[in-house]
Amino acid sequence: MSNEIEKIGALLEKLQSPDFYNREEAVNALGSCEVDEAVAGLVMALEDDDLGIRELAAEHLVKIKGDVASQLLIKFLGSEDIGSRNLASEILVKIGDGAVTALVNELENDDHDIRKFVVDILGLIKSENSAEAVSGKLNDSNINVVCSAAEALGEIGSEKSIDSLIDGYKKNEDIRLQVVEALGKIGGDKALNYLYEYLNSDDPMILFSVIDAIGITGNKKSVNHLVKFLDSDDTSIAEAAMSAIVNISIENKGTIEHDLPLDKFSSFLFDGIKNKNKKLTEFTLARLKHWYGQDVMNSLLEVLHFVDEEDLKSIVKMLGEIGPSASPAILKQFPNATSELKIIYLNIMKQYVDGDLASQLLRYNTDADPEVRRNIAFVLGASGDVSMIDHLKVMTQDKIGNVRSASYAALGWLCSENDLNFLFDGLDDRYPDVRDAAMGALVLLGSQQVVSRFFEDLSHDDTERQRLAATALGLIGDSSVVEPLLQALNHPESSIRKSAIDSLAKIREVDNVEPLMLSLNDETSGVRKSACTALVMIKGHTVIPEIKFLLDDADIWVRYHMINIIGVSEQAIYGELVKPFIDGNEDILKIAAIKALAKLGCKDFMKDISALQDDNNQDIVDAAKGAITELQEA
Amino acid sequence: MEITKKTENLVTVLCLKGRLDLASGAGLKDEIKALMDKEQNLIHLNLADVDFINSSGLGVLVSIMKEIRMHKGRLTLSDLASYVQEIFEITQLSHIFEIFTSESEALTSYQSVSAN
Repeated sequence: MSNEIEKIGALLEKLQSPDFYNREEAVNALGSCEVDEAVAGLVMALEDDDLGIRELAAEHLVKIKGDVASQLLIKFLGSEDIGSRNLASEILVKIGDGAVTALVNELENDDHDIRKFVVDILGLIKSENSAEAVSGKLNDSNINVVCSAAEALGEIGSEKSIDSLIDGYKKNEDIRLQVVEALGKIGGDKALNYLYEYLNSDDPMILFSVIDAIGITGNKKSVNHLVKFLDSDDTSIAEAAMSAIVNISIENKGTIEHDLPLDKFSSFLFDGIKNKNKKLTEFTLARLKHWYGQDVMNSLLEVLHFVDEEDLKSIVKMLGEIGPSASPAILKQFPNATSELKIIYLNIMKQYVDGDLASQLLRYNTDADPEVRRNIAFVLGASGDVSMIDHLKVMTQDKIGNVRSASYAALGWLCSENDLNFLFDGLDDRYPDVRDAAMGALVLLGSQQVVSRFFEDLSHDDTERQRLAATALGLIGDSSVVEPLLQALNHPESSIRKSAIDSLAKIREVDNVEPLMLSLNDETSGVRKSACTALVMIKGHTVIPEIKFLLDDADIWVRYHMINIIGVSEQAIYGELVKPFIDGNEDILKIAAIKALAKLGCKDFMKDISALQDDNNQDIVDAAKGAITELQEA
Repeated sequence: MEITKKTENLVTVLCLKGRLDLASGAGLKDEIKALMDKEQNLIHLNLADVDFINSSGLGVLVSIMKEIRMHKGRLTLSDLASYVQEIFEITQLSHIFEIFTSESEALTSYQSVSAN
């Protein structure tokens, strides 16, 4: 023991060291001692100049949670240094139940400020063990202590303190608001019955607080007591009642069944949405399906940009379902709305737009904001009304590429063969997005004439037109494009040849694969790889014996690709084709071969793969280990 | 193309498998028409197993959408394979179709709308 005391003495001395690290070490060492002297040292460290040391000491004191620590910390509550006082309060709150006895003992301190601090801390600890002692402070000689006691009893939430609170309410007018608030927090039938009684108060301040407190309890039966206040001439009382009912409704998952005069509170509720009040927003939105009227619609449209993304999606969907009846209000607000709102409105109307509505929106296709114009193009296209085609054609001349792109896309949803030339002109636009949109529109049209024109484009002077043609033919994807795509395999541009092969691979229904077989000898390795993939996609793994010569291709990546393709076939009979690569000199092919043999389930080669677990290349070792596991599990 | 059908709350979910083109699309259109006749106008198409779609297949989807709209219903799509997604993006049909990443996400959206 004496050794321990000596050690602590040394640590306390070290706490005085000018060196931060020495003091830090001392605090940590004191934190691991269990004797009272060490605790006193930690409390002392709370006055260290350095915040880091003070916080470290606080951390240790919280862990110790002892009565001695609490008693020593309480002394700081009388400190003139606010920082020390607050730190001590924080630690005591964190110590929690363990500090209650020491704190209760201080409730009779001569200094009323300390009594108030102690009551506040007990309120924050929320221990029911302190309820009786704190109730006693409702009779303290200092009014600040009394108010704090009423507030703390609300935080503690014990029904045992209700009688004392009621007694305080009767005797002391100055604490009535705090008592009412506390009763709301305590809740339960007993507290509620007193609150219902206080609804008869003549004092509007008290009445307001009582209504608020009843709302906080969230008890469904309270709505019956509150509805009469919705008719109050005093707006603040009526709105407090509405707010309390909203709270009760949310607490009960919207199951209250009263018919509420929502129209009267329209401004209050929609202002709640504007002010981002979560409960008012949830309550209001939940009632919209049953709360019709032009005013409601107008208010709703005004607050759309105040709600979060999820709520907005729901409202947009819901307004879309309400459909055309939402349009008059939207069209009325449209001209003066912000761009952000206009786009939301357009997304609503896009869900049900018809020719009539589209015609009414035409006047806005010159809106100053290109994003609005772009969305108008989509809405016109979504209308399905062919009379919009000419208007969209005008919009394809917009100075902004995004608007032109949207206009071509929308044309694609409406156009016919008659508009073929116009759409093909779009393939020469200066922006790639617009060219792609025009191509997309033609793909949607997908007629024989479109196929023929794209086929001609494969020989166009402009290589971009050639690229678009090869891509479009692949996307059109019916049997009529197979022949043009096969012919494109002889195209002088390798990118066109590759694109044509990729398209054939997607279409798959190709009877004549001879041109693809020839592409296996293409001068460009990328084309050879694509041909290899396409043949497997079209003919399945049975084609492998015919294309296996690519395992000897001059390009390593073609060989690599071929090994992978064999692996994917999952046919063990092809293991012999891959096996030589695990004995080869090229590590990248060795790894591909190991993985392929595992996929093929070739257990016969396990010994050869196993030997590679000692390779110098870690990637080979990892691949070999993975393959062995896979084969063992197979 | 194979079509399997199930009902989740009030939403009819059609899971499509195979190629969606003019020929197979005709069967899908018939299926939708039958649903509209029975006033089942909340339709979700799960395209997870659609490995190919061409311009005729897209045309089928557009005409289905128009049909459902005409019946004041709702059409959602989900689980688009990357190739299918690519063709939706090129044609910008993603602006008029409601597309979700997964079937469950799409079905949740029906719930949130009806809750509100």
